[in-house]
Amino acid sequence: MMKSTKEIWVFGDYRNYFQNRVTLQILSRAVDLASNTGGKVCAVVLGHKVNEYVAEYIAHGAQKVYAMDDPRLSLYSLETYSRLLTGLAKTYQPETILVGATRFGQEMAPRVAKQLGTGLTADCIDLEINEKGLLVQIAPSFGGNLIAKIITPVKRPQMATVRPGTFQEQPHDYQATGEILILSLPEDLPKDRIRLLTSEHRPSKKQKIEDADIVICGGRGMGSKGKFKKLFDLAALMNAEVGATRPVVYSEWVSHHALVGQAGKNIKPKILMSFGISGAIQHTAALTDADFIIAINKNPNATMMKMADVAIVADANQACLGIMKALKEKIRD
Amino acid sequence: MVSELPWDSKTGTLKRELAQGMMDPASRRALEAALQIKETQGAHICAVTMGPVMAQEILHQAMALGADAGVLLTDRRMAGADTFLTSHILSLFIQREYENFDLVICGSQTSDSETGQVGPQLAEALNIPAIGYVNQISVKENTVEAQRHVDDFFEILIMDLPGLITIDLSAYKPRYLALEGVEKAFENPDIRRIDVTGLGLDESFNALKDSPTRIIDVFSPTSQGNNRVLKGAVKKVIDQLFDEYGKVISSAMGKDLKTHEHDEV
Amino acid sequence: MDFNPCMKHQLIRKTVREFVESEIKPHVALMDKESRFPWEIVDKMKPLNFFGLQAPRIYGGADLDTISYAITIEELSRVSAALGLCVTVHNSVGIYPILKFGTSEQKKRFVPAMARGDSIGAFCLTEANAGSDAGGVETNAVELKDSFILNGTKIFVTNGGVCGTILVFAISEGKDQKSHASVFIVEKDRPGFSVGEIEDLCGMRANPVSSLFFEDCKVPKTNLLGKMGQGMKIGLTALDTGRIGIAAQALGIAQAAFESSVSYAKERQQFNQPLSKFQTIQNYLADMATKIDASRLLLYRAAACKDSGKTFSAEASMAKLFCSGTAKEVTDLAVQIHGGYGYSKEYDVERYFRDAKVTQIYEGTSEVQKMVIARSILSRPS
Repeated sequence: MMKSTKEIWVFGDYRNYFQNRVTLQILSRAVDLASNTGGKVCAVVLGHKVNEYVAEYIAHGAQKVYAMDDPRLSLYSLETYSRLLTGLAKTYQPETILVGATRFGQEMAPRVAKQLGTGLTADCIDLEINEKGLLVQIAPSFGGNLIAKIITPVKRPQMATVRPGTFQEQPHDYQATGEILILSLPEDLPKDRIRLLTSEHRPSKKQKIEDADIVICGGRGMGSKGKFKKLFDLAALMNAEVGATRPVVYSEWVSHHALVGQAGKNIKPKILMSFGISGAIQHTAALTDADFIIAINKNPNATMMKMADVAIVADANQACLGIMKALKEKIRD
Repeated sequence: MVSELPWDSKTGTLKRELAQGMMDPASRRALEAALQIKETQGAHICAVTMGPVMAQEILHQAMALGADAGVLLTDRRMAGADTFLTSHILSLFIQREYENFDLVICGSQTSDSETGQVGPQLAEALNIPAIGYVNQISVKENTVEAQRHVDDFFEILIMDLPGLITIDLSAYKPRYLALEGVEKAFENPDIRRIDVTGLGLDESFNALKDSPTRIIDVFSPTSQGNNRVLKGAVKKVIDQLFDEYGKVISSAMGKDLKTHEHDEV
Repeated sequence: MDFNPCMKHQLIRKTVREFVESEIKPHVALMDKESRFPWEIVDKMKPLNFFGLQAPRIYGGADLDTISYAITIEELSRVSAALGLCVTVHNSVGIYPILKFGTSEQKKRFVPAMARGDSIGAFCLTEANAGSDAGGVETNAVELKDSFILNGTKIFVTNGGVCGTILVFAISEGKDQKSHASVFIVEKDRPGFSVGEIEDLCGMRANPVSSLFFEDCKVPKTNLLGKMGQGMKIGLTALDTGRIGIAAQALGIAQAAFESSVSYAKERQQFNQPLSKFQTIQNYLADMATKIDASRLLLYRAAACKDSGKTFSAEASMAKLFCSGTAKEVTDLAVQIHGGYGYSKEYDVERYFRDAKVTQIYEGTSEVQKMVIARSILSRPS
C-alpha cells in the first residue's frame, strides 16, 4: 500500500452550526481514510472569532488546523473564501480536500478545483481508499438512478463534496490536541466582485410530497385517525412528508392532498416508509420511483411487504411509536 | 444608455441522457430568466449547449421561445468530458465569439448528474464572479442584484458584471412554447455547430482522456432486489433496522444518527 | 422515404405534451364527470396558438404543416379527447372553410378572432332527419334584398354550447325550382340564434355538444360563404380536412389506452407474475401496437397528400376509418387488460373506451368513409 505523508483537508463549514454538522462528519471519515493512507487530517477554518470551531474540529479528529481569523471574513464570501482556500492549497499542497455539500460548499468547491486545475466529484455518499491509495469518490448519477465510482488518477489535490448525513461524527474527545496554524490574510487579496447586501437566517419552508426525500405513507393498518396522526410527528422528526392510501382518505383520516396513488400523487423519495398498507395496485403503481422502501405490516404476506427492501413484521402503530423513540435518542442535536 | 445591447449567454449543458432532446428543466428556467430580462430591458440571448448532434433540437426550442442565436458545441472528441472540461470548452466558445458578454445564466443543476459544478467552473474559467441558486435577478447598468435562499439563509447580493448566475430549480417557472414559435424556429434558424477545431483546440483533444476525473464503475443501487424480513419484538426489529440500514436513513435525512461505531475503511 | 419524424415534428410533439400533461391532465377526470368545458384551460391555450394551428400568420395563426397539426391534435386528445375534439373541429371545419372559400373581407372579419381563440368555431350540418344523408337537410335560407333569413334546427353540434362563429349548411330554392345547399356564417349574437340543451353523451363529455336553433335568424349578404349553391362542395372539402383531425384524435385516444395497458401489464401481478409475462396479454399488446403504428402512417400519409396539393379525400377517409377502428379496438382491449379496475372510474381507461366509439360515427360514419373510398377506387381509370 502506498503511504503518503500528505494531508487530508476538511473545509470548516460552520454556518448553522447546530443543525449543520457536516464538517464533523467528514472529519470522522477523514480519520478513517488517513489511517489507510498515513496522511494527516487537517481542518481549514476561515472566519472571524473562530476559536470555538478550531477547538471543536480538533476534538473531532483534526490533527492540525489552518485558521484565518479576521473581521473581513466574518460573513461567508464565496469569492474570498475560494481564493483563500486555493492559496492555502497551492502553498501547502494537500493530497485531498473534502468539502461539505451545503449550498455554499457546492458553489465554492468547484471554483477551487478549477483554480487548482483538478477534478471534483459532487455530493458523494461514500469515500474509500483503493488498493492504489487513491480516493474513490462514490456519488449518485442520472438523478440518483445510478451510482458512480470516480477517481482522480493524476491531478492533485483530489477533491470531493460530501452529502450531509453520510458519515457519522466521532464522539467529542476532550483530551485531543492538535497543531493550530493561525495565518494572516494575504496582502494582495482582490476586492470582492460580489457584495452581500442582506443576509438573514430564515429556515426553509414546507416541501411538496412529490419532491420530498422521505415519504411516510399510512394505510388502514394504522388503526384510527388518532393513531394515523402520529405519522405526522414521525415525519416532523425526519423532515418527511406524509402520504396515504385511498381508504384512509375516504375515511377522512387525512386530507385528499395526501393521496398517493393512481388518482393521487406519484412520489420519488429516497426512502419510503409504508405503515399498515397492504399494497393495492392503485397505490403501489405510484411508488415505482422510490429508491428504498421500508414496509411495516402485521401481515408478512401483504404485497407491500414483498415489494419492500426491508419488511418489518409488526403492528404499524407500535412500530411508528418505536421508531420515533429510537430517532429521538439517535439524532445528534 | 449602453451603446450596445447587453449580451446574455445561456448555457444548458447537455449530457448523455438528454438524447430525448428535451431541454433540461434547470436550463429551461435559466432561459426563462434570460427571456424576462430581454422583455424588460432588451438583450441578445445566445443559447449554447454541448452535446451530440441531436441536442440541436433544444436550441430550436430555445430560439422558438425567444433566444436570438443558438450554438451547438459538438464533436466526438468532446464526449466523456467531466465538468472541468465541459466548463473549459464552454469558456473557449464564449471567449472567442462573445468576448464582450455581460451575463451568463445557467441552470443550477442538470437532471442527469446534478453536480451543479459547471456554472461555477465556467465562471472560474472566464474569471468572472458567480452567484448560484438565485431565484430573482435584477440587471442594472454594470451590476446584477440577485436574491436567493440557501442553507437557511435569505440573501440579497450585488455582483459586478460580467458575471454568471445559476438559477434555482424553484425559480422562474418556464413559459410554455407557442406552436407558432416552433414553426418559425425551423425557418432559417441562426444555429451554428462548432467542433473542437472551431474552438481552437488541438486535433488531439480528447475529453475522456483529458478529464481530471475518471469513472471507474457505475452500478444500480436497487439491483440487489433484496427483501429483508425482520421479525420479532418491536424494539428488537427497530434496533435491527437502524443497525443494518442506519446509514441509508441518515443519508436521506441529511442528519447524523448515532447508530453504531463508524465504519473502518 | 424517411419514416423518422423530423426534429421539428419531435419538438411540436414535446411542446404540446408538456403543456397538456401539466395543465390539462390533472383536471380531465373531473371535466368528464361534471361534463364541464374548461374555460380556464382554454384561456391558457389561446396564446399558444391552439385555436389558430393552420391559420396564416397574418391572421395570428401558427401556419403549421398538416403533420404538425395532426401531432398536436393527437397529443391533445391523448390527454383530453373532448378538448382535442373542440380544437380540431374549430380549426378544420370552422376556420379552414373560411380560409378556403371566404372573401378577403370575410377572412379579415372572422379569422383573427377565431385564431386567437376569442371565438370558437362550429360547423352544423346534421339535423334530426339528416345524418349520413346530407340531402335530407331541411334548414332553409331565404334570400332577401340585403340579407338571408335562416330557419331550422341543427343537432349534435360539436362546440355548440361555446361557439361564437358558426358555419351553417342550409338549403334554398333556386330559380330552377331545385334545392341548392349553401353555407352561411352566423355569429352567436345574431337575433334569432339560440343554443339548445347540452347533450348528455356517453363520451367526450367535456365537449358541449348541443342543438342550435335558427328562428328567423337574419344575417347580412356578406355572411354567405362562397357562392350560393356551393354548399356541397364546401361541406365536402371541410370534411376531408376534418377527417384528418378526427383521425388524429382517435389515434391519441388509442395511444393513451395503449400506454396505460403497457404500464398496467408490467405492474399488475397475478399467479405470481406480472401480466406482461402471459402470452395472451403479449398478443393483445402486439395487436394494439401494430394497429396504432399502421394508423399513424395512414394519418401522416393523408396529411402529406393534403400539403402537397393533391386531392386527398380517399386518403383522409382511409385514415379516419382506420384510426377510429383502432381507437375502438385498442380501448376495448385496454379495459379487458385492466380487468375489473378497467371498468372503474378510478382508472382512465373506461373514459378512453367511452370516448373512442363516437370517432366511428361523427364527421361521416365508418360506413360513409367506405363509400368515399369505394367511389375513389371505382372512379379510377383501370
